[in-house]
Amino acid sequence: MKNKRKSLIFSSFGVLILVMLISLLSNCNVSNEIKAKSGAQLWGENCLRCHNNPSPETFSDVEWDVAVMHMRIRANLTDEEAKKIAKFLKTAN
Amino acid sequence: MKIISILSIILLFFSVNIYSQNYDNQKFEKMNNDIDSLKELIKPGKSKFLLRGYSHSGIVITDENSSFVGGSFNPIFIYKQSDRLMFESELEFELEDRNLNIGLEYANISYLLTKSLTVRFGKILLPFGIFVDRMHPAWVDKFSSKPLGVGHGGILPGSDIGIELRGASYLGSSKINYSFYVMNGPRLNEGDEEPDEAGQLHYDNFPDNNKNKAIGGRLGFLPLSNSSLEIGFSGMYGKVGSGNSQYADVASKLYAIDISYIQNLPFMQSVLDVKAQYSGVITDNANYRNYDNLVNPDAVYTFTNQNSTTFAQIALRPAMVNNKILRNFEIAGRYSDLITPEGSKWASNLNQWEFSLNYWLNWRTVFKLSYRTTEGETEHTEGAESPLGKAFFFHWAIGF
Repeated sequence: MKNKRKSLIFSSFGVLILVMLISLLSNCNVSNEIKAKSGAQLWGENCLRCHNNPSPETFSDVEWDVAVMHMRIRANLTDEEAKKIAKFLKTAN
Repeated sequence: MKIISILSIILLFFSVNIYSQNYDNQKFEKMNNDIDSLKELIKPGKSKFLLRGYSHSGIVITDENSSFVGGSFNPIFIYKQSDRLMFESELEFELEDRNLNIGLEYANISYLLTKSLTVRFGKILLPFGIFVDRMHPAWVDKFSSKPLGVGHGGILPGSDIGIELRGASYLGSSKINYSFYVMNGPRLNEGDEEPDEAGQLHYDNFPDNNKNKAIGGRLGFLPLSNSSLEIGFSGMYGKVGSGNSQYADVASKLYAIDISYIQNLPFMQSVLDVKAQYSGVITDNANYRNYDNLVNPDAVYTFTNQNSTTFAQIALRPAMVNNKILRNFEIAGRYSDLITPEGSKWASNLNQWEFSLNYWLNWRTVFKLSYRTTEGETEHTEGAESPLGKAFFFHWAIGF
């Protein structure tokens, strides 16, 4: 039983370290194709994965700030994606 | 004399014009100052609040009766305290069995640790597979009812209380997203209070029924640069029995594999949306008291506590056709099944098909006309509504 608990603790730390490493290394390894994506393109690609693309005129700039932060966390968007999408959505206002 | 008069008129005209121009300039300058002052007054601070949510209702017609149902209202409160800190919560007000049920779907605080890592505390929707985390809102779900295995009578976790690390990163042109969490975990129904559900897992485990915490996570891989395909792997492990009971060492393993694929089909001027998930729940075998045995009150029974559930759905919307009416229609079909342990008092082997014709009034308001048929065998509790049979639904859902 103790061995089982130990292996669980070790595997938990393993996953944690893996996640940390991925997050630290991630931004060094983004392809140019991804970097060149516009906010409109990211909006089209990411929102549609769960629901219809939201109309940019739905919210005010201030409201989009909150909605995009909410979706950044919920939909696992990267920081860069969230910023570009927010900028695009605000262009309608 | 005549010349002097004409010159005077011209001079007067220019004087008036110059005066009027100066007056206009002053007026514009004052207006600009007023606008700047107003901008300063209404300039948003760092803390921002947004009320969102969704609501749905409809009518269901079964073999036995027809009734208006639903009447659910789910406000979502989102408070962005700073660029890194956010609080969000979803409530659910639902009419069920002549009562108003009020539920807390989730309530948590998120803090952006780095550009690709966020920590969340509180009650969160578990990223176990894709349905609960992403597809549960009525205006997102393309069907009038949930697939087998999800929600009431299901085997999949919904939300739990604990701490989670989540985020996403690019690996070249591919993307991964990840979540790792420590939660109270599921609670084993030991049969003392609800003998017919002995061996089932319940996910409303607060306060925790033991010292053990469940650990789990989900890893999603998006191999294509346009993020159209995602394959996810989820797992959770934890002890589920009460700490001071004979079930203290009973543990459960949960796992799921999910796939999601969205693709524009130019030759059909349509968008194709495919989603599927297979999930398994395995709980250690245990002896449960057999309350049906009136001769021997100490009699026990056991069974192999393995459960599984699957759903696979496909939807097609001609979103790129020119016809304004046609492009708002969507057709969708879904298969789901649920297998719970043979020998338990809640044994079932069910499969279900649901087909839906949807009409989108706008990007977040939908009317759904659905037909559902459920077949199989079930040991459903006497008096409870049987899950078997055919049903027609007409539902509307709005996201706001």
